[in-house]
Amino acid sequence: MTNNTTRQAGLGNARPAARRSNPASWARSLLDASDANLARVLLAPAFLLLLLIVVYPVCRLFWTSLLDLRLSSGMPARFAGIDNYTSVFTDPEFWTALTNTLLITLITVPAALLVGLALALIANLPFRVRWPVRLSLLIPWAMPLAFVGMIGGWFFQSDYGVVNDLLRHFRSTRIIWFNSGWLSFIAICLTITWKTCSFVALVLLAGLQTIPQELYEAASVDGAGPLRRFCFVTLPLLRPAIAVAAIFRMITSLQTFDIPLTMTRGGPGTSTVTLAMYIHQNTVDFLDLGYGAALAVVLFFISMGVTTLYLRQVRTEL
Amino acid sequence: MKPLSPTALRRIAALAVIINGLFPLFWIFLTSLKTEAELTRVPITWFPHAPTLANYLRAFHDQPLALYLFNSLAVALLSTALTLFIATLAAYALARLNIGYRDLALAAIIAVSTFPLVTLLVPLFQTMRALGLLNSYGALVLPYTVLSLPVCTLVLVSFFQTIPLDLENAAMIDGCSRVGALLRIVVPLSAPGVFTAGLLAFVNSWDEFLLALSFNSATRWRTLPVGIMLYQGEFAFPWPEISAALVVGIVPVAVLIVLFQQRVISGLTAGGVKG
Amino acid sequence: MTRILRPLLVLAALLVPPAAQAETTLNVYISSALRPEVMRQAFDQFEKANPGIKVVPQLGGATSDLQAQYLNTVLSAKDSSLDVLMLDIIRPAQFAATGWTLPLNKDVGNPTAFLKQYLPAYADADTVDGKLVVLPAFADAMFLYYRKDLLDKYHLPVPTTWSQLASEAKTIQAGENDAQLQGLSFQGAPIEGTVCTFLLPYWSMGKNLVHNGHLTFDHAAAVKSFDLWLGLMKQGVAPRNAAEIVTDQTRKDFEAGKAVFAVEWAYGWSLFQSADSAVKGKVAVTDLPAVDGGKPVTCIGGWQWGVSAFSKHPAESVKLVKFLSSVPVSTLLAEKASLLPVFPPLYHDAALDQAMPWLPQALPVVEQAKSRPVTPYYNDVSNVIRTQTNAVLAGSETPEQAADQMEARLRRVLR
Repeated sequence: MTNNTTRQAGLGNARPAARRSNPASWARSLLDASDANLARVLLAPAFLLLLLIVVYPVCRLFWTSLLDLRLSSGMPARFAGIDNYTSVFTDPEFWTALTNTLLITLITVPAALLVGLALALIANLPFRVRWPVRLSLLIPWAMPLAFVGMIGGWFFQSDYGVVNDLLRHFRSTRIIWFNSGWLSFIAICLTITWKTCSFVALVLLAGLQTIPQELYEAASVDGAGPLRRFCFVTLPLLRPAIAVAAIFRMITSLQTFDIPLTMTRGGPGTSTVTLAMYIHQNTVDFLDLGYGAALAVVLFFISMGVTTLYLRQVRTEL
Repeated sequence: MKPLSPTALRRIAALAVIINGLFPLFWIFLTSLKTEAELTRVPITWFPHAPTLANYLRAFHDQPLALYLFNSLAVALLSTALTLFIATLAAYALARLNIGYRDLALAAIIAVSTFPLVTLLVPLFQTMRALGLLNSYGALVLPYTVLSLPVCTLVLVSFFQTIPLDLENAAMIDGCSRVGALLRIVVPLSAPGVFTAGLLAFVNSWDEFLLALSFNSATRWRTLPVGIMLYQGEFAFPWPEISAALVVGIVPVAVLIVLFQQRVISGLTAGGVKG
Repeated sequence: MTRILRPLLVLAALLVPPAAQAETTLNVYISSALRPEVMRQAFDQFEKANPGIKVVPQLGGATSDLQAQYLNTVLSAKDSSLDVLMLDIIRPAQFAATGWTLPLNKDVGNPTAFLKQYLPAYADADTVDGKLVVLPAFADAMFLYYRKDLLDKYHLPVPTTWSQLASEAKTIQAGENDAQLQGLSFQGAPIEGTVCTFLLPYWSMGKNLVHNGHLTFDHAAAVKSFDLWLGLMKQGVAPRNAAEIVTDQTRKDFEAGKAVFAVEWAYGWSLFQSADSAVKGKVAVTDLPAVDGGKPVTCIGGWQWGVSAFSKHPAESVKLVKFLSSVPVSTLLAEKASLLPVFPPLYHDAALDQAMPWLPQALPVVEQAKSRPVTPYYNDVSNVIRTQTNAVLAGSETPEQAADQMEARLRRVLR
């Protein structure tokens, strides 16, 4: 980006070192200090909070994953090395959960991006009264996640659900969504996409606002129609926002928990269990803390891997 | 057939968005006016045959719904404020300052969010207990801030980067410090970004269920999603009453959205940026 | 040594006047769904008899699973914020193994003799490895509810086997000519109740799943159990979407008059007889049918009181638990909250006749109820059984496949 050259043009380092003896100016001099010191001050609160809330518990989690710690056995913790990890990779339920999680990510991330983009573009159109469209954009985001799952489960219920009621007009036998792994999966993905596309729309809408109007005007003067304006003005300038939305959609998608839990409880059988659900089940239901921790660490590395790959692609955007 | 005019197309598109976004809420609202008996009819009814407000009365009577709303609001506002504060500082550092470890810091912040809070439930509970924060706003504000920090920081970083450097340079030549430039130039110009980040943080916090269930279990500190879950019986699931509670829960957020959507989406039209 | 020490300490505490009249607060964890306002009356009685102790209820999650998860989180952190816990009958084994409840053996004299006053199933479930870990609060079991008006109309006797139930249901469904009338409603969603769905026929064949913490899996019986339910669905007696049905859905459907028979817990009775019910006055209750050639058996439910091992006031907590598990409180719960008593004599108590007229019919059912597998790993076991049963009912696995998988998974859990 162009920032570096302008910065190095002398301003960043040309500040007098004002070291007077009173605290106010010490504070001021702290803020006036070089980039490095200022950066440390500005980033400190974030990293302190992360250290307390995430890093410390995560370190405990890494340690626990190396232990054989099943609270229901009544036995004390025993060091087990990588035993938990070998169990993880030989556990068929883990592979089912992993497959489900990856499938959900592969389906709902692009879906949410596409739908979110469409919603953002529509919300950006000039309407006389703007708030109804914008409210509709954001309401899905405002509904608590656990209830979206319950409502989704109810909507797809075979006897009392709205979906079957609407389909009633088109086919005579009703579909029992939750009897089939595939149909349950589709229902879950639809619900997740519905819920998350407003997050994407919000981020993209903010991004759309940063595109100067003059560019569109210049393009139409040059004879570009709406489609070309979209492809050559909107999309390129929207790439940073798309990148932000995509990364976080991807990360949260790998952690999908509430919606499948409340919609299908992982059924039929265990065909819609996600990795986060399996971790929670092992830790809080089965009290197998060692195994649950190992699963969490595996999820962490998978998320890291996916995110790193994607970041590599879009590092120029950020 | 004549092709549809742009206005008509716009209206249809708007209608599609409105139906998509509001239909479930509309359905929940209709359900909140029905009786339980009506819900077992097949085929289902859409509009209540004998609309009643009894569910709302019952919802407020069976549980202190207003208290839960207040708690959720307090926790959400506090964590939003804290998130915005910390994220703004961090985003400025990452967007503007010339530091070698910039990419690493950004990656670290994103990496932190790859650990689902769900998996940290037990160690976090122990941490909160050790800090004596259980059953207080603090027990939730801190984790919720962490929850929203990565996405808010990233949103703000990408917004700050769209502000041309000239403005800050001009201010600093006039004697303003870097942080002053941050507060007086960058933040106001990034208002849409700030409001977006704020809305994201608010809704993340409003949404959250699992930590709220475990950390703030006392009735006095309970938040709305947990409270609504309690309308369930051991076996019973009173949809009409829960629907009423849900409607009550969404209304404040909807009001906030309508009030702030203009700020979130104000364009960078006149002034300030012309070179 | 501890036998003498405890009473001595108590005596000493009684003799030494307390320096400050500090009030002891006992936090009791109960479900928000189990009539906390009636529990409050019991607590008030205790407070009156024990000045200086205040009882504060902490209302917990709405379902057994949510409560268990909350308690698991809190107690694995060894938190002392709760003194007395109300536990579902399936939990004591786990709580004993993890050491989260105080054994009550010394506090009841001779445990075996003490437990004789309760229903037999609770004596079994509440003692784990010789330790008495909880005392019964109230009872519950699965019943067969039926529409006596319809059975009378078609001159049919009360069925005693599943095949008899199936043929009677089909007769009634054909006669009533109502497309929405189910023959039998039962639970098949991946919930706790579905564990009972699997176990009912299995037990009826005389088989046990877990004995002394070890797996005693009978593959053929498991397949037959699955086949029973699938058969009912194939014959049109049970609905095709049985895999979606949760406990309250059965209740709602039966209450709306949409089912001839229903497998349901005790809570359904008072709702079926309520003013809004479409089947008021037309319902009767009996024990669940047996498989052909098997014996009738039902699943025990109910809740228990335990003392948290991390409580700062163990003596007072034990006192409260013993009070709550006594005849007066059981009578109160039956009268005011329609919760089944845990003392057999109360089922014939004239005073309860008004509030719960069906108690005499309920007693034989509750007396022959069996406990679900008693093992510290019950949550694991429950998950295996419920998900496999759900898969079979949804049609995504055959009974053979499901039985194979169930065996494999249970072996891993109960290793």
